[in-house]
Parts: sequence; structure tokens; C-alpha cells
Amino acid sequence: MAADSPSTVRDGFGTVSRTAGVVFRYALLAATLLGILAVGILFVYVANDAIQPFTADPGWHLTFFLTLVVPTLAVGYSLSGRGEGSLRVGLESLGLLAVMPLFAGGVAVLFLSILPALVVFSFAVALAIPLAAIVALQRTRQVGFVAKLVAAAVVTVASLLFVPNFIQNVPVIPVEWLLVALTIGAPTAAIAGAYAAASWNDRRVGRIAALAALGGVLVGGLVGSLTGVGGIAATVLATVAGVPVGLYVATVVDQHPTRREGLLLPLVVLGGMLLGAFLVRTVGFAGPASWLDWAFVTSDNSFSAESAGIYPALAGSIMLMLIVSLASFPIGIGAAVYLEEYAGNSRLTRLIEVNIANLAGVPSVVYGLLGLGLLARMLEDGLPVFPAVVADPLGLEPIRVGGDLFGIGTVFVGGLTLSLLILPIVIISSQEAIRSVPPSQRQASYGMGATRWQTVKNVVLPKAFPGILTGTILALGRAIGETAPLLVIGAPNEFGIPQELSSRVGAMPLQIYAWATTSGTEEFYTKVIPAGVVVLLVAMLAMNSVAIVLRNRYRQRN
Amino acid sequence: MADNSSKRLSRRKFIAASGTAGALALAGCTSNPNAGGGDDERSDGDSTDGGDGGGSTEGGNSSTGDGNSEYQNLSGEINVAGSSTVYPLAQALQEQFTSEEMHPDVNITLQSTGSGGGFQNYFCVGDTDFNNASRPIKEEEQALCQDNGVNPVELKVATDALTVVVNNENDFVDEITFEQLYQIWSADSDASTWSDVNSEWPDEKLQLFGPTEASGTYDYFLETVIGEEGPGMRTDYQATENDRTIVQGVQGSQYAMGFFGFAYYSNNTDAVKALSVEGGDSDGAVAPKLETAKSGAYPLARPLFTYPARESLAEEHVAAFAKFFVEQSTNEDIVANQVGYVPNSQEEADEMMSTLESAIQEAQG
Repeated sequence: MAADSPSTVRDGFGTVSRTAGVVFRYALLAATLLGILAVGILFVYVANDAIQPFTADPGWHLTFFLTLVVPTLAVGYSLSGRGEGSLRVGLESLGLLAVMPLFAGGVAVLFLSILPALVVFSFAVALAIPLAAIVALQRTRQVGFVAKLVAAAVVTVASLLFVPNFIQNVPVIPVEWLLVALTIGAPTAAIAGAYAAASWNDRRVGRIAALAALGGVLVGGLVGSLTGVGGIAATVLATVAGVPVGLYVATVVDQHPTRREGLLLPLVVLGGMLLGAFLVRTVGFAGPASWLDWAFVTSDNSFSAESAGIYPALAGSIMLMLIVSLASFPIGIGAAVYLEEYAGNSRLTRLIEVNIANLAGVPSVVYGLLGLGLLARMLEDGLPVFPAVVADPLGLEPIRVGGDLFGIGTVFVGGLTLSLLILPIVIISSQEAIRSVPPSQRQASYGMGATRWQTVKNVVLPKAFPGILTGTILALGRAIGETAPLLVIGAPNEFGIPQELSSRVGAMPLQIYAWATTSGTEEFYTKVIPAGVVVLLVAMLAMNSVAIVLRNRYRQRN
Repeated sequence: MADNSSKRLSRRKFIAASGTAGALALAGCTSNPNAGGGDDERSDGDSTDGGDGGGSTEGGNSSTGDGNSEYQNLSGEINVAGSSTVYPLAQALQEQFTSEEMHPDVNITLQSTGSGGGFQNYFCVGDTDFNNASRPIKEEEQALCQDNGVNPVELKVATDALTVVVNNENDFVDEITFEQLYQIWSADSDASTWSDVNSEWPDEKLQLFGPTEASGTYDYFLETVIGEEGPGMRTDYQATENDRTIVQGVQGSQYAMGFFGFAYYSNNTDAVKALSVEGGDSDGAVAPKLETAKSGAYPLARPLFTYPARESLAEEHVAAFAKFFVEQSTNEDIVANQVGYVPNSQEEADEMMSTLESAIQEAQG
């Protein structure tokens, strides 16, 4: 008792002031708001320059407010009151409707401007044949694994060697949109069928879904080719946007009848937009003099601001994304699976993991220099398949392949450089996804007598797949915005649509940089660049939104 | 079990799908433009690797004739680097050349690297087909090109008036002499304020913006104003290869000065004020204008060039673009009105064309 004299105040229990806590809390709030506000203001500023909403008639705004905003808010409010997740269904379907056409646009650009449909089709067939052969081989039980492997390799090589050439020289071929429908529509229909079969737990439903999807794609293509839309564009739209939306609607209608009302939301939005557009046209209200319009997205760059467009840059970005995903995903996911599932917890693996984590933080310009030094300069004459070091003493000619792919500023080098840049991110995020698969599931698999390979294939990868996809898409989103590495490898300021892998690279951030540095007139700075920035941001947000939605669904399931 | 059923399912589905697809394919067929003619791949325009490439006479581009008229259906890549001064001209011309009416399948890329940067890092090592320059090629660049088997063909494409600009608010100077420019820009001058140059000017710090050493504009200014044997340019100014930055720098500060090609000034006449220049054998101070540059009265008038590599001219589409460049160099509308340089006279263009024709003939054998 005597020890507790008033003079001895124990740490932490002295006079407590609430002020410090309150100040701290509001300081944190201020920091949060400041960050969000700064980004928000920037975005609004840019979007305002690009779209210029205040140049529209007040009547135009009023019309759309009445036909679009008010009904949407009303329906949204009533849905939120209903519960049962119908508002979420509404928002999801609305998001699908908004985002999938963007992806369809991207794929359509690929087929319309970069890859000839026949070439893609021939390679798709050339890959489908060995795939079918492998599936068939797997069912035969009499043959040993090595024999199967050899057979599969022979079929694959032979198919890739002969089939594309054969198909490309067949005298009579289907029309282009039909080729596209077969190339992407058929696999999409198969996936839709598999999804439906799993979702309804009924094979018949799966078959119907697959046939309906394929039929829908073909009808879409036919309608498109007969109307002004264009066969290829309509086919791609039906495949990439139509099939997922259809599948989503079917799932909701059949499996969640209580949430059906949610589908009202996209209908109201679509209806409101159409009605508004109709009214505005009949009454004659002028819309905003938006710089960002269809012509901007679909026309070539130009010397004059009025006719400058972002299409070649868009096409270039899409081509880069294609290369980046083909190059970095298999390597990155492979490395992640190895590190998580096979490599033990040795000092070496820890060293590797620390290094990967550090590589993820290396500034992008350093990767650009790596691309310049290694890919553009050292490999300029091609990959040394039979290097001079070996060939010269033997008195033979050294062999190098792919000389035109490597070199200053080619699309190929650009794509590989960006792949290197995001590879650590892909590896780390895939590792996280794989790690989050509960160990008990692996143990269960082992307990059933499965081998490690079977466990990885049948348990770990399917479970981790959404997480892996989320991380890789976010990494792609980073790659699409990169400028510095491309500038360092010698990307041009003015470019066309890349026709080959050996063309000079072009991309949206490069185009914006070029506009910001080499163009002379003020209009570029106040209108063209904001419009370009909005296109770039929309592309990035579309990709990120898919990643976020995937992550959320994945979390709910676990 | 589940595995088994999915296998059966996929087989049946495969048959069904391929059957449907086959039937539809039969319904909508066209003849294959590729078939028969063998391998009809787009001729790869990237002649740039392998500097000794003279042998790339694939020439499969249908029109092997003499024709000015039948350039149709050319395709391939043309890579251009070099001067930021010539860049807008090249940009305007490439837009015309690759337009729907001319050669939409030709892909021309442009890179603004500065004349010297372009020669050094791109053109003379065989990475580009053309190099734009706002000064003639130097001997050491010529030698570097030779070492790599690249033969530059000099074509004058326009005349520029290098323009010295100051801020709009600057009311104490309208004209400037070579001596004053020397005092402001040379390495051995210790002028740090305007009054150091002329005691009537205010005692304010000079803020200087100019091109980098990679730039032909830098080289020309150095040679003309400071002298080749002179002390060189001072180094404590804001150097940038981006003319826009110079405009913005000068715009932003009342006591700033900068210089660049006339095209950037003609696009920004409201943003900055151009000075009349007196020097060389000029008759008093002369304002930078297309007319004074053309007549030669403006002391900082200079020729602009493009250098195609003779090896690249072996390819039809590169030769066609080079010819187009020379043809259009007399085009008043593009060169003067859109871009802001003095077009070539007809005689100059004819002379350039004959240089080019003989180079093309040599290249194509």
C-alpha cells in the first residue's frame, strides 16, 4: 500500500488525454482523403478535357438524367431493399455488359488488324490436332509413358510443321468471320458447356449450353456480315461478350430465382440509354463535343490534332499484351508451382525467393536497359543455336535463328522486356495463390494415393487458379501502362499498326508520351492527350476490374 | 467416375461441334487468295539488320515497272530516326504516304532522336532506313556509316530559320546580334545576367533553354554563332531534345531565352516572342520568316536534310517513300503552311531527285 504513493505513476497509466488519439485519427483520415482526392481530381480533370460534358445542351443532360439516371437509381434502390443479393446480380450483370464488349473490342482489333484469320485458324487447328491426340493417348493404357510422350511430341511437331501450311493453301476456304467463329467460338462454346455442366451438375445442360453458344456465335457472325457491323467484329462480340453474358443470365434465371429482379438493372440502363438517345435526336439537343469518340479510337495518328487517333497504339498495346501473356504466364506460374510444391525449404530456395521479391521492385527502366543490351543488341543477329564459339574451331558456319525478331525496338523485344518486368510479380502472386490452398486438401489427395503430380494437377492448380489469374491480370495491367522500358529499347515516336513481330513497337503510353513531347500545337495538350489518357485508363480499369471480381468471388467461395 | 463421364461428354460434344462446324463451313466458302500462288507472304521490309544486305531484292511487289504511277500495293516497314526539327515534316509526309489513297500497307515509324543521336545510335549501325538531320552529316559519322556498310544519300528537303525566342513579357529586347548571342551562349562568357550583355538591359538572371548536343540545331548554332574553332557552348543551360520543353520554359519565365526550328515557333507564335537577328553578312536585324529564310537574308537560315541509306533504297517501298519525300519538298501547302519551313525550289528538288534516282539505280542494280 505504501508503495502506491501518488508520486509513483506507472508507465501508460498516467494522465490519459483523448486529444492525442483524436488528432491521430483525423490525421490518418486526412492522409487517406488527400490521396484519394488528388487522384480523383486528376481523373475528373482529364476526363473533363477529353469528354467536355459542359459543351452539351442543358436539355441533353436533363433528358439523360430523366431517362437514365433517375430510373437506374430507383431500380437500384428498390433492389437494395429487396436483399437476397439481387442488387449484386444487377451490378454484376451491368459490369459484364460494360466490360466484356471492351474485351471483345480488343480481340476484334487482333483479328481485324494484326492477325490474318486464316493464319490464326491454321495454327489453332495445328494445335488442336496434337491436343486431341494427347487426350486419345491418355486413355490408352497399354502404352508406356515414354512411348506416349514420344508419340505426342511427334504429332505436335508434325502438325505444326505441315498443317498450317496445308490449310493456308487450301483452294477453297470458309469466309473470314466463319474462320474466326471456329477459331475462338468453338473453344469458347466448349468452355461454356463445361461450365454449364459443372454448374447445373447435368451433362445434358452442358451440351445444350455448348451448342447454344456455338449457335449464338454463328448467328451473330452471320447477322454481322449481313449488316454494317462486319462479320469478324460481330463474331468476336458474340463470342467474347455474348456467351458470358448469356451464361450469366441463364445461371441467374435458373439457379437463383429470387435474385432474378437484379437483371432489371442492366435492362433499365440499356433502355434508358436508347430512349435518351432517341429523344435527344428527335428534339435536337446537341451532345457534348467530346474529343474522345469512335473516330478517335478507330483512326490513325495524325499530324493535325483534329484527325489524330489512337488506333495503332491500341493495336500495338494489344499485340504486346498477347506476347507478354504468352511469355510470362507459363514461366511465372511454372516457377511458382515449383517453388511452392516441389522445392523444399532450403537456404537456396529462400535465397531465390528473396531475390524474386527484390526483382519485383527493380525500376522498370533497368529492365529496359536489360532488354536493350541483351535482347536488342546481343541477340541482334538471332539466337545462337549453334554458337560461333563451337562452330569456328570445327570450321563450320555458326547458326543463328530469329535475327529479324531481335533488334532495336521490335514488338518482340518490347514484349519480352515487359515480360521480364512482370515476371517476378506473376511468380509472387501465383505463389500466394498456391499457398492459400489449404494443406489439408493436399493431404487428402495424398491420402487417396495420388502422386505429387496428380495432386498438383487435380487439387492445387484448380483451387489456386482464380488467385493466379487475379495476380497475373493485375501484372498485365502494370505492363500495359509501362513506357520507360519501351523508350529505352528504342521505340519510335510515330508508328503504325505492327504487322509482324519484327515491326517496331507501339503502345498507348508511348503514343501519349509522343504527343506530349513532339507535337507542336496546343490542341494536342488540351484535348488529344486527355482523350488518350482516358482510353488507356479505361483499358487498365477493365483489366483490373476483372481481376477484382475474380478475387471477390474466390474469397466468397473459400 | 466424374472424370470418366466428362471424357465421354467431351468426345460426343467434339463430334457434334465439328459436324456442325463442318456443315457451316461448307455453306460459307470463298476461294483462298493465298492458294496456288505458293507462299505469298508479305515481303519483310525490315532490311535494317545485316548492314551488308544489298541482296534483299525480293521485289515481289508486283510493280517492278518504272512507274511513278503504279506504286500501288507496296508494303513493308520504313524506320526513320533523327532530327527533332525535321520530325514534323517527316510526320506530315508519312501521314500522306500511308494514307488510304496511297500505301496503307506501308508502316513508317518515326523517332525524334536529334540529328547526331540518330546517326550515331541508329542510322550508321544499320537500325534505321532514313535519318533526318538539321545539318549535313559529319565526317566521323560518315566513317561510322562506312564501317557498317551503310551509304547515306544526302537529300535537302527544306530550309529552316533557326529562331531565337524570348518571353512575351520581355519588352527590352526585339533584336539581337551574333556578338550578343555569343556572349550569352558561349562557354567562355561569364554573362549571368542580361545587363552583363548590354548595360541597358535589366539586371536579371539569364534563363537559358536550348537543345542538347545530340541535336543538329545545337551543332548549327554552335558552328554559326560561336564558331567551329571557338570555345563551344556553355553547359549551364536547360538542355532538352524536346522543343516543347523549350517553348514552355521560355513561356514560364520573363527573363528566359531559347532557340529551335521555325516550325515550333510558327505553331506557338502567341506563346513566345521571336527576335530579329543581325549577324554574318545580314543587312541589319532580320526577322525570322519564311520569306527571309528563303531569300537568305535571315542570318540563321539553314538547310534541312534527310539521309536514306542506299542499301535500303533497294526495296521498292523505301525508294518510293524517298521519292515522295523529294517530290513533296516543293509542296507549299505541306512544307510551309502545315509544318512551317521553306519548301525547296523546283530546281533544288530536280537536283535531289536525280541524286536519288541514281542512288536507287545503284542500289537496285
